Amino acid sequence: MSAHQLAFLVLGVLILVSALMVVTVRNLVHAALFLILCFAGVAGLYVLLQAEFLAVAQVLIYIGAITVLILFGIMLTRKITGGAQPPLASHWKAAGAGAGAFLLLLLYVAMTGQWQVSDQPPMDSTTTLGLALVTRYVLPFELASVVLLAALVGAVLLARDETR
Amino acid sequence: MATETKQTSEPDGVLRLGGPGLAAEPTGDIHEIETDHLEVSMGPQHPSTHGVLRLKVKLDGEWVTEVQPEIGYLHRGVEKIAENRTYFQFLTITDRLDYVAAMACNAAYAVAVEKLAGLTVPPRAELCRVIVQELDRIASHLVSVGTYGLDLGATSPFIYAFRDRETILDLLEMVCGARLTYSYIRVGGVARDLPEGEWRTRFRQFLDEFPPMLDEQDTLLSENEIFLLRTRGVGVLPPEVAVNYGTSGPVLRGSGVAYDVRRSKPYGLYPQLDFNVVTRPTGDCLARYQVRVEEMRQSVKILRQCDQLLDEIPPGEVLAKGARGVKPAAGEAYASVESPRGEMGVYLISDGSNKPYRLKWRSPSFVNLSVLSAIGRGWKVADLVAIIGSIDPVFGDVDR
Amino acid sequence: MEYVVMAAKAVVVFALVSGSMPFIVWAERKVMADAQARIGPNRVGPFGILQSFADALKLIFKEDVVPTGIDKRIFYLAPILSIIPALITFAVVPYGGPDLKLFGYPVGYVADLKDVGILYVFAVTTLGVYGIVLAGWASNNKYSLMGALRSSAQMISYEILLGLSIMGVVIGSGSLSLVEIVQAQATPYFGVIPGIWLFAQPLGFLIFLIASLAEANRVPFDLPEAESELVAGFHTEYSSFKFAMFFMAEYINLLTLSGVITTLFLGGWLGPGVDRFPILGVLYFSVKTVALVYFFIWLRATLPRLRYDQLMRFAWKVMLPAALINIFITAYWVAR
Repeated sequence: MSAHQLAFLVLGVLILVSALMVVTVRNLVHAALFLILCFAGVAGLYVLLQAEFLAVAQVLIYIGAITVLILFGIMLTRKITGGAQPPLASHWKAAGAGAGAFLLLLLYVAMTGQWQVSDQPPMDSTTTLGLALVTRYVLPFELASVVLLAALVGAVLLARDETR
Repeated sequence: MATETKQTSEPDGVLRLGGPGLAAEPTGDIHEIETDHLEVSMGPQHPSTHGVLRLKVKLDGEWVTEVQPEIGYLHRGVEKIAENRTYFQFLTITDRLDYVAAMACNAAYAVAVEKLAGLTVPPRAELCRVIVQELDRIASHLVSVGTYGLDLGATSPFIYAFRDRETILDLLEMVCGARLTYSYIRVGGVARDLPEGEWRTRFRQFLDEFPPMLDEQDTLLSENEIFLLRTRGVGVLPPEVAVNYGTSGPVLRGSGVAYDVRRSKPYGLYPQLDFNVVTRPTGDCLARYQVRVEEMRQSVKILRQCDQLLDEIPPGEVLAKGARGVKPAAGEAYASVESPRGEMGVYLISDGSNKPYRLKWRSPSFVNLSVLSAIGRGWKVADLVAIIGSIDPVFGDVDR
Repeated sequence: MEYVVMAAKAVVVFALVSGSMPFIVWAERKVMADAQARIGPNRVGPFGILQSFADALKLIFKEDVVPTGIDKRIFYLAPILSIIPALITFAVVPYGGPDLKLFGYPVGYVADLKDVGILYVFAVTTLGVYGIVLAGWASNNKYSLMGALRSSAQMISYEILLGLSIMGVVIGSGSLSLVEIVQAQATPYFGVIPGIWLFAQPLGFLIFLIASLAEANRVPFDLPEAESELVAGFHTEYSSFKFAMFFMAEYINLLTLSGVITTLFLGGWLGPGVDRFPILGVLYFSVKTVALVYFFIWLRATLPRLRYDQLMRFAWKVMLPAALINIFITAYWVAR
C-alpha cells in the first residue's frame, strides 16, 4: 500500500466517521464541529487529487464561512448550555428512504460510469478553473451569482427592522 | 403584540426562547416572531462601571431596552455616623464620601455647619479654601476625563491625565499632608495656612504648565474622529429631563442649563472672582466631556486670580474662634457647594448639643446617576458605557 | 529528503515565530509606555526584556479555573483552535528569496504553494474565528457569548475585505504565489521608485491594513474583547495557561499579518544588495515586519475603540465599495 493510498484510507475513515457523528451526536454544536472535521477531510481528498485550489476553496467557504454561520444560528436559537436534541427527527423514515435511494444511485453511477484516468500531471488548476468559469461555464456561473444575489437581497429584506 | 413584559429570563443566565417582547414592537408578519431579551448584570465587578455600580441591563441584541442602576454596595451609613460625632470630629468622615474630590466634601460640610452655627470664616481661610477646591476640581475632572477615554478604549489620555493630576496631588500633599483624604477645610476655616516658598513656586509653575498639557490631552480625544463618533449625539439628556431629575454639575450644564452653585448660591470668595459658567447646548456625552475640560480651564483662570489675592490678603488667622467645640443652637440649615460633580449639599438639624441631630447629604453623584435609567434606554451596550462615563458617578458619594 | 528539509524549515519558522512573541509583547508594553510618559517593564532582565517570560511562568502556575455548566471539551479545544491558525499561516510567507539556499535547498520559505498561495493564507485566517466563537459559547457566560458573536460577525465581514483588497495585487502580479508576488515587485517604477505594491495599490494597502487590524482584533477594532463593555469578551472565563494561549494567538496573529502585509505590499525580502547576498533578504523582511508591528502598537496607544455598529457600517458601506473600485481600476489598468 502506497503512502497515497494510506492517506486516502485515513481521510476516508475520517470523513465517514465524522459524517456519522454529525447525524448521531445529540449536541448541535458538537455536530457542527464534526461537520468541520468532515469538510476538512474532503479538503484533504482534494489535496490528494492535486486540486489544491478546490481544497483551499473548501476550507475557505465551507469551513470558514458556512459552518460559522451554522454555529451562529445554533447559538442564537438554542440555550447557551446546549441541551440534548432528540436523535431522530419526526420525518426520519422519509428522510432515510430518500438518502438510501440517493446512495443506490451513487453506487450505480460509480460502478457503471466510464471514468477517464489520465497519467498527465494536472496543469495549473487555478488558471484552468478560472478560464473555464468565464468561458465555457459562464452561463451557470452567472446564474449562480444571480441566485446568490437574490438570496442576499432576501436576507436583507427579512432582517430589516422597520422600527429603527 | 406582546405588550406585557413578563419576567422569563432566568437568573442562571440561560438564554431561552419566548421571552417578553419589546413594548413598542411593530405588527407585521416577520415581527410576530418574539425574540429573546438578554438580561445581563453589569457590575459590581465590571471594568467600566466606575466603582461598585451594578446595572441590570436588558438587551435586545446589542440594544439596551431597560437599564436599572443598583446601588448600595459601598453604603457605610455616613449620615448615621454623623449623629454620634461632634461637629468637628465628623469632618474626617466627609473625606470618604466623594473621595475623588474630598475638598468639596470638606467644604460642603464646613459651609453647612458654619451656616448653622453662624461662624465667620477668616478671609485668608476663604482664599485657601478656593485655591484647594479649584485644584481639587481640576484633579477630579482629570480623573473623569482620563477614565472616560479609557472607557472608550483610548488608553493614552488616561495616563496623561493622571500625570497632571499627580502634580496637583503633590501640591495638596504639601498643603495638608494627604493626597486623597485631606480633611483640610475645617469647620470655621482651614487646618493651616498655605505653605510659602517652594509651594508657591510650584503652584505658579503648575498654572503655567497645565493649560498646554490639557490642550495636548484634549486633542487626543476631542479631535479624534472615533471619539467623536462614540460621543456626539449619544446619550442625549434634554434640559427638562435634567432639571426634573435634579441633576447638577457638568451633567446639567452639558444640557445647556447654566446652574453653578458658585454663581447661583454664592459662597466663600466666589462672588469676587471672575469665571464663566460653562455650558453646552447639546446634552450629549460629548457636551458633558467638553464642559469638564472647559471647567478645568476656568479653574486655572480662578487660580490665577487667587495667586494675586495671596499677595493681597495678608496671612493671619485661618480658623474662626470657637470652631473646635462648636455647639450650634437648635435649628436647621442647608448649604451647598459646587463639587466637580454638581451641587453637593448638606442639610443639618441641631438639637443644641455638640453633635448633629440629623445630617442629610445631598450627593450630586447619586442624583446624577438616577438619570441613567431615563437616558440609557434605546442605546447600544457600548453607548451605555459612554453614558455612564459621562455622568461620572463616584461611589463613595452615591452610596454614602 | 525534500520532506525532511521542509519539516526542518517548518520547525525553525515555528520556533522563531512563537519565540518572538514574548518580545513583541515586551515591545508593545515598552512602546506604549513611551507614548504614555511611563517607564514600562524594567525589573525582569535588562530593560525588562524578560518580563513576558515571567508573566508566562506566572500564568502557567496560576490556578486553572473552570466554570461550572460549561461544555468542557469545547472549552479546552477553543484556545488550541485559536493558536493553530495563527502559527501555520507563516508556512507560505516567504522571508527570503528563492536564491537563499542552504546545502542547495531553498530555505527562503517553508513552502511555495504556486497555485493557491495567498488563498491558503485566507483559508487559514478564517479558521481563527472558531477559537473565539467556541470559547465564547462554551464559557456559559453572557459576556463571552456576546463577545463571540460580535467577533465572528466582525471577522467574517473583514475577511471579505482582506480578500477583495489584495485582488489588485493579485491581478497586477498575475499570480497567487506569495513568492511570485514579491518577485513582481522587483522592477522599480520609472527606474527609481521601489516597485513595491504600496505605491501602485495605495487604496488596496490601506484597506488591507485596516482589515488586518480588524482581523487581529486590534485597536480600534478590538470589540470582541472590549473590556469596558464585555468584561474581557470571549476569554472572560479563561484563566491560567488557556488564557495565555489566547494571548499568544493574538500576538502571533499580529506578527503573521504584518508578515503578510510586508509580502504583499512592501516587497517582502526585497531590498538593495539582496541579489548578491540573499541572506540580506531575511533582514529586510524582518525590519519591514517589525516596523509594521510598531505601527500597530502606535495605533493602540493613540486610538479609542469604535462601536460595534459603526465598525460594521464602516466595513460594508465604506471599505467594501472602495475595495471594489480598487479592483475595477486595477483591472482596467492591466487590461489596457
